[in-house]
Amino acid sequence: MSTLFPPRHILRGIFLIPFFFLFFSFLFSLYAQQNQGSKVTCYGDAIVVGSIGEPITLIPILAADSASQEIVGLVFNGLVKYDKDINLVGDLAEGWKISDDGLEITFYLRKGVKWQDGVLFTAKDVLFTYQKLIDPATKTPYSGDFKKIEDFKIIDDYTVKITYSEPFAPALASWGMPIMPAHLLKREEDFKKFSRQPIGTGPYRFVRWETGSQIILEAYDDYWEGRPYIDRYSYRIIPDQSTLFLELRNRGLDYIGLTPLQYQRQTNNDFFKQNFRKYKYPSFGYTYIGWNLNNPKFKDKRVRQAMNYAIDKEEIIKGVLLGLGKVCTGPFVHNSWAYNPEVKPPRYNPQKAEELLAAAGWNRKNKAGFLVKDGQQFEFTLLTNQGNEARRKCAEIIQQRLKEVGIKVNIKIVEWGCLLDIIDKRRFDAVLLGWGLSRDPDCYDIFHSSKTRPKEFNFVSYKNEKVDKLLEQGRRVFSRERRKKIYHEIHRLIYNDQPYTFLYVPDALPIIDARFRGIEPSINGIGYNFIKWWVAKEEQRYKLQE
Amino acid sequence: MNKLTLFGISIIAVLILLAIFAPLISPYNPQAIDVDNILSPPSRTHILGTDSLGRDLFSRMVYGARVSLEVGLVAVGVSLIIGVLFGSLAGYWGGRVDSLIMRFVDIMLCFPTFFLLITMVAFLKATVFNIMLIIGLTSWMGLARLVRAEVLSIKERDFVRYAKAMGAGNFKIISRHILPHTLPPVLVAAILGMGGAILTESALSFLGLGVQPPTPSWGNILMEGKAVIDIGWWLTLFPGLAILLAVLGYNLLGEGLRR
Repeated sequence: MSTLFPPRHILRGIFLIPFFFLFFSFLFSLYAQQNQGSKVTCYGDAIVVGSIGEPITLIPILAADSASQEIVGLVFNGLVKYDKDINLVGDLAEGWKISDDGLEITFYLRKGVKWQDGVLFTAKDVLFTYQKLIDPATKTPYSGDFKKIEDFKIIDDYTVKITYSEPFAPALASWGMPIMPAHLLKREEDFKKFSRQPIGTGPYRFVRWETGSQIILEAYDDYWEGRPYIDRYSYRIIPDQSTLFLELRNRGLDYIGLTPLQYQRQTNNDFFKQNFRKYKYPSFGYTYIGWNLNNPKFKDKRVRQAMNYAIDKEEIIKGVLLGLGKVCTGPFVHNSWAYNPEVKPPRYNPQKAEELLAAAGWNRKNKAGFLVKDGQQFEFTLLTNQGNEARRKCAEIIQQRLKEVGIKVNIKIVEWGCLLDIIDKRRFDAVLLGWGLSRDPDCYDIFHSSKTRPKEFNFVSYKNEKVDKLLEQGRRVFSRERRKKIYHEIHRLIYNDQPYTFLYVPDALPIIDARFRGIEPSINGIGYNFIKWWVAKEEQRYKLQE
Repeated sequence: MNKLTLFGISIIAVLILLAIFAPLISPYNPQAIDVDNILSPPSRTHILGTDSLGRDLFSRMVYGARVSLEVGLVAVGVSLIIGVLFGSLAGYWGGRVDSLIMRFVDIMLCFPTFFLLITMVAFLKATVFNIMLIIGLTSWMGLARLVRAEVLSIKERDFVRYAKAMGAGNFKIISRHILPHTLPPVLVAAILGMGGAILTESALSFLGLGVQPPTPSWGNILMEGKAVIDIGWWLTLFPGLAILLAVLGYNLLGEGLRR
């Protein structure tokens, strides 16, 4: 090779890299062929998934936390879903037609789909789900998407025509909402039972839920896409990441999300290399501090901007994520088209923070070194959930940095359900939390000023008329180019207002037992083709007894 | 004084010195985060290594000694005050007062101490002082019983009867004539109690209910170490040893004094 490229001291390295890549991908493809080609996909075995969170409810239209959504996603289907390239494809809908003015969507539903109790799925179920979503008695965070619907018409058992009062860009995507069975939920009382014993159309049917311990699902034989290969899905709840990890190491779990420390330092030995596979891709979500804007301290924009300068995000990414993540500047992730690359995170600058705080009236310090205004010390409680090491560490770093500019932070770590309750009652100063995002950039529910009632997502009570207007506009326009402009502006305005201090977009770091095959990482993660995962007969570990 | 007692005393003395001179001894600020030095093993720059946020473990341990000693003193102080008060009242007056107080002691003893602690922590803010207070408030029952038993026997002695005959008031009799005689056993119990209090605080902090970050305590360092025990053994070994030594020190001292 070196004779081909004369100035070899420069070029050698550069050209060797692609060569190595080619070589390894060649080797890898050989390996992959051997591994996947020689064996036929087969049914059986179970996957044991570990999680720190327990679902709150399994009623799909109420499921707002990621644990609930995880289970709901396996038991139910929406009309549409995202494929591996993040394009919308039909799920319970075979196809659809959107009128030229964008006001009408006609869904053609799949025929012969059966609920897990044997009853046929029809347009009535879609209507029922819609009615429940817009019922004011239903406390669902998702109602906003469906209130734009002017008319819902059942054409026949397998065709529905939905008319919107105004063009609504996320309309199609919003029908990813799981559909509930009308025949099982006739009375209000039915919901209570259903929330812990759901029946859907999805690839897995619910078996049992042992509170605080595990949820068990089993493959649904009559699933319309074909029965999933893995017989049983068991979701174990272990509310502590290090215990989860120990359990994984004892091979009691097959699939967990690793912490950055576990990914970088604790899983590089032969044991893990032989028995597990690790994946890494940017997650569709971000971590932030939400400031309660009803709190007089945080009402002042300058104070929030000061926080943004006083908190060193690079340091957090290095210290908490060990580099496995990116600085976040707004409510969109970097690989979304809505992300405005011109919004640049400021450099860590405590002097600037102190100036801003002084401008807001926090200009004197007491003996302990904390800022004082009107005889009150600048002190607040930063709330976060138990079991999440990253957030705890993040809180400690923030506490340290804010102390340097004269702000006293008390960290309070509470159990997840308790945290949601505190947030619903608005009894917090600041929360350290994360949002998992949908693929459409519409963030009306999180930042629109009409979304501040209990259980709704704008719990920091953010209000900016311009942002409100743009959020409404962003839903009305269909053209990607025009929406892009709108969301870039939203990104800029929200960043300027700092209702949240945006911290980071972490990488998702799943680890899966090596016996599972058929996993194909894509920009949509790995979970999208879960029903196609399988385990070779001789490697299967669990046998069903029931 | 035997060798073991001397060993106990020297452990406690070292701890007290560490706690008093913590700012002078610790080479780093115990809360200074250094993300470039996460989980570095013991070395010349960090003699006991660093934790998962790059903080110097030795400095944190030294400050943790402060928390542990304070907890020992304050918690035992609180339980002494309550225990001696209730014990002497019950023992001296006897009758209804005695049975009332002793039933209360029985009730308190019925609760598994740890659940009682956790419940109280949930109600109060988890500051270092509250933790000490709570440990004191849940551990005075043994002392009360001990004091009562002592008082019961001492109050029948001649010098007490004599004091009564001289017209001394009840308060004076208890405080001047009876309590000083109960001192030796109470002192032993108190010193043994300090070891127990340190252990309780560590256990609470280990569960995340005790001393809250960023204040370092041996218990919460241990808790953080648990997550990385395979790659950061120093984070569990050293605080574990420290707790062991401190409790051992108090127990040896207490045992020595008993003889």
